[in-house]
Amino acid sequence: MAEITVKGLNFHYQHLGKGRGDERLVVFLHGLVMDNLSSWYFTVANPVAQQAEVLLYDLRGHGKSDRPKGGYTVAEQIDDLIALLDALGLSDRPLELVGNSFGGLLATAFTLRHPERVRGLTLIDAQVHDEAWAEEMRSSLGLEGDDLKEAIATNFQHWIGRHSERKRNRLAKNAAELVYETSLVRDLGASPAPLTSEIANIQAPVRALYGENSDVRVRGEELAAMLKSCELTLHAGCTHSVLWEETTVVREAILAWTTRGLEEVREG
Amino acid sequence: MTTLTTVAALIQEVIGEDWDLDDEITLESSFADDLELESIEFVALAEKMQASFGEGVDFVGWLSGKELDEIIALKVGDVVEFIDACRT
Repeated sequence: MAEITVKGLNFHYQHLGKGRGDERLVVFLHGLVMDNLSSWYFTVANPVAQQAEVLLYDLRGHGKSDRPKGGYTVAEQIDDLIALLDALGLSDRPLELVGNSFGGLLATAFTLRHPERVRGLTLIDAQVHDEAWAEEMRSSLGLEGDDLKEAIATNFQHWIGRHSERKRNRLAKNAAELVYETSLVRDLGASPAPLTSEIANIQAPVRALYGENSDVRVRGEELAAMLKSCELTLHAGCTHSVLWEETTVVREAILAWTTRGLEEVREG
Repeated sequence: MTTLTTVAALIQEVIGEDWDLDDEITLESSFADDLELESIEFVALAEKMQASFGEGVDFVGWLSGKELDEIIALKVGDVVEFIDACRT
């Protein structure tokens, strides 16, 4: 398994399509708790890797990366990505960040911290960091027992929902350990949210895809209103799981943008 | 060693200590339903197969041509067939 130790932790990553495309690196960021890099691996990452270099990794505490007791603030998790890029010799590469749900929040935070490193931002039903998000995160991650199992089945309905009771219990146990035995919820809740004016000042082109029926659709609309560079599309009949519900559409959109980026580089 | 025995050994490596299936891994075993591989375990398996069978077997390219439903429905035999086709 591809693992690398940074900041004293083992991170599981996949570096695909090496040497393909221009110098850009497409970095995929997954969602919170019941998610890991496989969401990208089985939907978008492999096709994108046919034409561009791609990095996907399990956030700390998730998937097959280490699960430390602490260090889950937004700032710390941005440091994780920076350290990972340094360790892999990719720190000089312009980045195309693609984030799903919480991954979109991280991608936005990374862009605010290092605008010079980000060439483009793709947000898929992304969360936007403010007090309302922190409150919602605290209540949704406070699930227990059957509610937690149901949340897992919903999140992984296309794959893990098919598993036996035994397997679902194990996945629920893993999720519960991350929520209850680390400082994840406290750290994220304590992370300072960016100012609206800071987000509005993002210069990199932003593409936002949201589910028409998603509970965070309004976040996409706020971003589009705030950011001149934001191109928003709403996907009919989709919920917060738009990546799974409309995989082909999301994949084609990302591929089209990647190709367009390549053409702009050639023309420029 | 046949391709099937190599793939079966890699599957057991990936599942590791959680391996508690009595049934033998056959060409008909499906990754999701029969072997109950988690999606992240399938990623690890693809990587192990890549390392074991070499660059001539392009799993990333192969998977990129598949829809999610097809990947979930994959059987061990599909992977064995792909590997054998690459090596002939």
